[in-house]
Amino acid sequence: MTPVSDSRSARFNLGLRWLRRNVLVAVGAVVVAFWLVIAPLAPVIAPFNPLQQNVRERLQPPGEIHRFGTDELGRDMFSRVLYGARITIPAGIAVIVVGSSLGVIIGAVAGYVGGRWDEILMRIAELFMAFPTIILAMAITAALGPDIRNAILALVIVWWPTYARVTRGLVLEVKSKEYVEGARAVGAPGTYILFRTILPNCISTAIVVATLDIGSAILTFAGLSFLGLGPDPSSPEWGRMVSIGIDFFDQWWMWLYPGLAIASLVMAFNFIGDGLRDILDPRLRKR
Amino acid sequence: MPFHLYFLRRLLFVIPTLFGITFFAFLIANAVPADPINANLPQSALNDPEIIAAFRQKWGLDKPPHEQYLTYLGNLLQGDLGTSIKTRKPVADDIGRFLPATFELATFGIIFGILMGVGFGTISAVWRNSLADYLVRGFALIGVSFPVFLLALIGLQVLYAQLGLVAGPGRLGVRVSEPPVVTGWMTIDSILAGQWTTLGDALSHLILPSLILGSYVSGMIARVTRSSLLEVLGMDYIRTARSKGLSERVVIRRHGLSNALIPVVTVIGLSYGNLLSGAVLTESIFAWPGIGRYMFRASTSQDFPAIMGVSILIAAIYIGVNFFVDILYYFLDPRIRLA
Repeated sequence: MTPVSDSRSARFNLGLRWLRRNVLVAVGAVVVAFWLVIAPLAPVIAPFNPLQQNVRERLQPPGEIHRFGTDELGRDMFSRVLYGARITIPAGIAVIVVGSSLGVIIGAVAGYVGGRWDEILMRIAELFMAFPTIILAMAITAALGPDIRNAILALVIVWWPTYARVTRGLVLEVKSKEYVEGARAVGAPGTYILFRTILPNCISTAIVVATLDIGSAILTFAGLSFLGLGPDPSSPEWGRMVSIGIDFFDQWWMWLYPGLAIASLVMAFNFIGDGLRDILDPRLRKR
Repeated sequence: MPFHLYFLRRLLFVIPTLFGITFFAFLIANAVPADPINANLPQSALNDPEIIAAFRQKWGLDKPPHEQYLTYLGNLLQGDLGTSIKTRKPVADDIGRFLPATFELATFGIIFGILMGVGFGTISAVWRNSLADYLVRGFALIGVSFPVFLLALIGLQVLYAQLGLVAGPGRLGVRVSEPPVVTGWMTIDSILAGQWTTLGDALSHLILPSLILGSYVSGMIARVTRSSLLEVLGMDYIRTARSKGLSERVVIRRHGLSNALIPVVTVIGLSYGNLLSGAVLTESIFAWPGIGRYMFRASTSQDFPAIMGVSILIAAIYIGVNFFVDILYYFLDPRIRLA
């Protein structure tokens, strides 16, 4: 159990670390880029219409014509998986962009104004965090009525508190800096100080957190639609395809390919996020 | 601080949160849907003015909102969560029937999660930046990226359908006789009844879903164990322990892990929420008759009262577990006792 000390294995370990930081980020970037290209080009690449039913060819295993097989209505799984990128990627990004913006603004106001408002806003944020994410999102989507827009809205509602918390902490820290005092001394109005002086100094952290977070937003969205609370059943959404596939357990292609599509995308985002954290957080880098 | 004071103080933190989640659930249930009557009653009852009037009366829907909330709270305190649209039974009864199965699964799941998480986290920290460390972290990264329902399906396909190593979906095989229900836990009930074949069969059914749930939460536990242990291993008292000639094993176990585990306990409490969410996503795959499958069925059939009931319950369990973790702190961290 002695820590590694001789120079050859030390160099080997350094090499591993370099590999980890660079190769993981590179692999992640390539896979994300792949899906980002697939999404707009799906209508061109896909060999079939993803909604076209063909009962005579239902439940075909993967073969030459249908590379990923067909589902219970004879729809081409390969085309459906490709089209799935057009739903999941925009949904995940929308959740993160809207959720983090909302959280950053609320957190910034709470931290800057302070006092009672700070107390109220943060208590509300804590309440949202008292529920496990997907459970709260489920309840909200069920109340709003299940469709894709409501699923995204529900996820935004669930997502903002983390960002509010992080931003509030940063704003409190930056607030006491000399340059903020300077801005106040020259008579800048409060909103100017908050949005022009303080926030730009906090935003990079929020962006890093957001990058780390896209994967889990996509995963939760897929979970919601797995539960039937996302887009309507016929639409080629990955999570939904997996949940339909449960009833066709032996026709593994019906659940495996859409499931792997989710996993590959989430993993790619997590690789990038993990690498970013390694590079940007010097406290972790030392370890 | 004496224990009862600490306990009361923690409890005071929990009560407002519990009120908060009921208020929140009330808002979601009554203010969000366009028409709560439409959302809470089955289609067939919507033409019956008597049923509608009774529903209004029971939930105080014609009173002002704050009285509605009090009515809601009153009903909730009496254990009334409304009536399921799908099963036509009180949601509380349904939950009572399905909850033990979920608890059994979650308990085995968290045990696997802790074993794997703390084990891998320790390996990762002790042999930091070695190949083992990278492998463990790589697996953890892959683990958190896979949707838990996909892990469940792959596990079932490979370990059950292909290799036949474990039992398939459900809690018991068809030919195995069910023990008389005492606790609702298949394992405990079969021990109580002395039915050893049933116990074996129940364990064989339990192992795969709880392994999957365990691996789902072990990533987070491993990550925190690793960083916490790394921090502790850099402390002066570890150097002291090493310099007085203790074996590395004793240093890591007695001086390292026992101090590093405090933040890990917090994370275990937090990952209980993940575990329950994971149960919602996997129980339907394993045909596990717990609240997760109940919730899955409720959400695919728009059974709104059932969804709300399970959500409140899960939030309450989650808060309860974290309260328990806070209390556990008292015994784990002598600094609290002496403060």
